[in-house]
Amino acid sequence: MTESQESHTGAAPLLEARGLTKDYGGTRALDSLDLAIAPGEVYCLLGPNGAGKTTTINLFLGFVAPSAGQALVAGLNVSTHDRESKRRLAYIPEQVMLYRNLSGIENLEYFAALGGQGSLGRERLVEILVEAGLDGEAAGRRVSTYSKGMRQKVGIAIAIAKEADALLLDEPTSGLDPTASSEFSALVERLRNRGVAVLMATHDLFRAKDTGTRVGIMHYGRLVTELSTAEVGHADLERIYLEHVSDNGGPR
Amino acid sequence: MTARTVLKNEWRLLMADRPLKIALGLFVVLLGYALTNGVVWLRFQERTVEATTSGNVERASALRQELEAIEAGGQPSSPFADPRSPRVLGGPSGSHTAVLAPGPLTALAIGQSDLLPYYYDVNIYTNEASFHQNGEVENPLNLMVGRFDLAFAVVYLLPLLVLALSFNVLSEEREQGTLALTLSQPVSARSVVTVKLAFRALVVAAIVLGVSLLGALATGGFGSPGRILLWSVTAVAYALFWFALAAWVNALGRSSAWNATVLVGAWLVLVVVLPAAINAAAGLLHPLPSRVEMVTAQREASNDAVNRRSELLARYLEDHPEMADGVVADEPGLGALSWAATDAVNGRLEEVAAEHDARRAEQTALVRRYRFLSPALLAQEALLDAAGTGDARFADFQSQVRAFAERWREFFVPAIMADEQMNAGVLADVPTFSLVDGDSADLARRATAPLAVLAGLLALIGAAAGVGLGRVRGAD
Repeated sequence: MTESQESHTGAAPLLEARGLTKDYGGTRALDSLDLAIAPGEVYCLLGPNGAGKTTTINLFLGFVAPSAGQALVAGLNVSTHDRESKRRLAYIPEQVMLYRNLSGIENLEYFAALGGQGSLGRERLVEILVEAGLDGEAAGRRVSTYSKGMRQKVGIAIAIAKEADALLLDEPTSGLDPTASSEFSALVERLRNRGVAVLMATHDLFRAKDTGTRVGIMHYGRLVTELSTAEVGHADLERIYLEHVSDNGGPR
Repeated sequence: MTARTVLKNEWRLLMADRPLKIALGLFVVLLGYALTNGVVWLRFQERTVEATTSGNVERASALRQELEAIEAGGQPSSPFADPRSPRVLGGPSGSHTAVLAPGPLTALAIGQSDLLPYYYDVNIYTNEASFHQNGEVENPLNLMVGRFDLAFAVVYLLPLLVLALSFNVLSEEREQGTLALTLSQPVSARSVVTVKLAFRALVVAAIVLGVSLLGALATGGFGSPGRILLWSVTAVAYALFWFALAAWVNALGRSSAWNATVLVGAWLVLVVVLPAAINAAAGLLHPLPSRVEMVTAQREASNDAVNRRSELLARYLEDHPEMADGVVADEPGLGALSWAATDAVNGRLEEVAAEHDARRAEQTALVRRYRFLSPALLAQEALLDAAGTGDARFADFQSQVRAFAERWREFFVPAIMADEQMNAGVLADVPTFSLVDGDSADLARRATAPLAVLAGLLALIGAAAGVGLGRVRGAD
């Protein structure tokens, strides 16, 4: 275990990147990222495609190994504490893909049990799904009948059931209609209020300003600036974003 | 906990997957059909053996009655079939049928029992030609392809079921997107895939062993627990080999379609092409002499022998001086002359048969050497041996029948040479055939090599799959 640096809010960070770097062949996908996200913070990573947002999330998940630096979850180095760090994490990808022939309840039961929650019982599972915004009738239906928004809600339910300390979201509202998107943001907000640290990669500036507590703008693998969402308006955020992602750095 | 969770989920997925359930149901029906085939064959063989055994008793009884009637002053039923003549009593009308009882698990594997003879009529005229009349002029692998029995279903069809259940065990998770969500939990791809495959292996093993044990139960096979154990271990090890192969191919990280193509190709090569290639090589490198040649040799020797009867008798008596006492030197007995001719024919036939047997031994040696290339051949060898229908038991049976025929001749030929007459009293001393079956130690010794190689292949591929799966992360 490594002693963590203090986060933006002063509390010990639950998600932390130290000089985190990832090269794919000769291309640097992520360049010396330093980041610390405290409990109750929602950190939104903004940036164009290929900026390094998904790579950052994959590094926190241990899906790829860093070329240099460290990704830490609750102070645990992901590279050396794979399982322990994953016990503390929940992950919702852009498309939450579930077992289509099973119901929402069965999917939740499976992933929650894999996450270390044991057998939760049908009543509790339905309760969690309802808390995540799915209605009780839908919870018992096969997932093959679900919309994307409903599957994202099951993803949130998995995170709730897991009682994770940190949540990684990879463009979770992409493709959702505004209502579903708004519902999703409300759920993230509730998790944040419970002290969960959230790292969300997104293209949605509006959602980032609305849901996030901090925003980091990435370009060509580098974190080019960080902002507190309380200190900028929607229009300012868009202007700053466009200033930083105009093609003037180029890949190294 | 993870294992129980994945097993429960696998069960749910299986129950929700109609095509898979249909495939499993179809396999069960095929196994049932294969077992029925085996039982029908077993019953037929049992009836034949019973008829043969009672035939022996009836013949001996009829001869005894006739001999006793003659001794009481009666006449033989035919002057050409006087049972007092040792040529008649030891010849076809007094012959003893040597029988190989069905193997303990014949219902599971008919094997070679419908191709190789399982009974021989033994009399003084039994010679090498008698052992080459029943389809042996095939090379050894052709003999292996028999009826649609349980062994055939296990060797040929079981791998296809295993591949259908496992070709996409990991690739499907990746393609449908569940892999990332799974691997974001504190579990490894290796442990999840292992449990998923273990579940499928349990389903397959339950079906195969269930039907096998049912067959054994219905046909009294439980009298040979060692054979049932060998059968079960072989079937399970063979299935696990295919599961391990599927796991390894999945660990390469390619698409489900690519996996399916490669695995079906592997099945084709290992189960169909390689055995056929070894078969062809055996026939090409060590062709058997023509059977026509053997028949011609038999006829030529027979004609020649008749023409030179007297000369042959003299030569025979030179070779067997102990027989000369009973023979009048200047007026040889008809029986002695006839036997001398028979002996000459046998001598010539032995030469031809020896060449045939030598070639066949070379073929067998080649097949035995290269069978290690195909797990299908190894499994088939062990399954047939377990069932008691493999070529080892038939070869043993034939060799015991040869020895029995020799004993039979030793009993009757001196009497023929001495022109002695037989009576009812000698019947009790006429040799009878009783098979001495190999014990379980022989079986275990023969099964060691194929099972060890199969286990080695399984361990090798399993280890490669384990290493490959250990490298799988969520973002492939």
